[in-house]
Amino acid sequence: MFAEYLTRGVKAGLVAGLVFGLFMAVVANPLVAYADELNHAAVEESGHGHEAESAHSHDSEGAHSHETDGAHSHDSGDSHAGEGGGHHDTAVSMAVTKAVSVAAGGLWGVVLGGAFFGVAFFFLEPAIPGPDATRSYLMGLAGFVTVSGAPWLVLPPAAPGAEQSLSVATRLPLYAGMMLAGALACLSAGYAYARLRESSGLVAAVVGAVVPFGLLAAVAVVAPENAVHGALSPTLETGLAGLFAFGQLLLWLVLAAAHAQFRSAGESESATPIAGRDSAPAAD
Amino acid sequence: MATANTVNGRIERARTELAPTQMAAGALFIAALGFTLLFVQDPLVHDSLHNFRHAAGIACH
Repeated sequence: MFAEYLTRGVKAGLVAGLVFGLFMAVVANPLVAYADELNHAAVEESGHGHEAESAHSHDSEGAHSHETDGAHSHDSGDSHAGEGGGHHDTAVSMAVTKAVSVAAGGLWGVVLGGAFFGVAFFFLEPAIPGPDATRSYLMGLAGFVTVSGAPWLVLPPAAPGAEQSLSVATRLPLYAGMMLAGALACLSAGYAYARLRESSGLVAAVVGAVVPFGLLAAVAVVAPENAVHGALSPTLETGLAGLFAFGQLLLWLVLAAAHAQFRSAGESESATPIAGRDSAPAAD
Repeated sequence: MATANTVNGRIERARTELAPTQMAAGALFIAALGFTLLFVQDPLVHDSLHNFRHAAGIACH
């Protein structure tokens, strides 16, 4: 049974990975490359181009070190933009970046499908409310909140080349911590819903399920603030961030839809009259 | 279908269905995957994922 669940999760992941890989290839790759070019042009224009050249070196994750010397914020801006922009100072060429990013988009779908719709769904299914398809979509929502939604409350998607005030050393644990907080919020929302549904009815259950998300938002408010500013126009930056957020939502939606589809297909295939399965009026 | 359809039932089920070695292998695999994702900040890997990281909303420059 576990193997069945895992297979179904990975299959849904493959479908979503295909869609997201396509999104990477057709939408994200060209846009990020274009944004990088704009950044680079802006840097050249501001007359710091040479510094960017000389500031290259291998610390592409050099945000650590740049962050420390606040006085040289200009330099850090240049090398950041140079990192993404020029691509003669990154470890790999733009073509490799594009190819690897598309492959990573596909694998991202598979990983999320296997982890959330394979393993987590196997264990949590009995605790997820609603009829069959709804459960897949609720799992997708919980997955999105855990992996992206909750961390984005503190660290939203940033446009290429944007500078962030918190160092990478701070942001990594912060991102992981918000993922954990998001997972806890989803789990406790499910728990509260199930408990209150039994004792106090639907309205109380829904209210109870909303409370953990309120707490999650409160955690995000007290978390350290990360100021972001880049060379791109604010409108473009907002648009890019929105597009990337949309891409992740799309990924989870496809995951959930594919999962629901595979589940109903699997059930009608095995067509075993399992006691308690009062859903599908057993197709003939 | 003896086990109850609860979260505890599922954990029980996994325990009976999976051999300890299978569980250990799975846990090890997940640990390795997590470790890789967390610590492979090698410029080669990091930079080649640049576009993907932006698309996934995980920007760290």
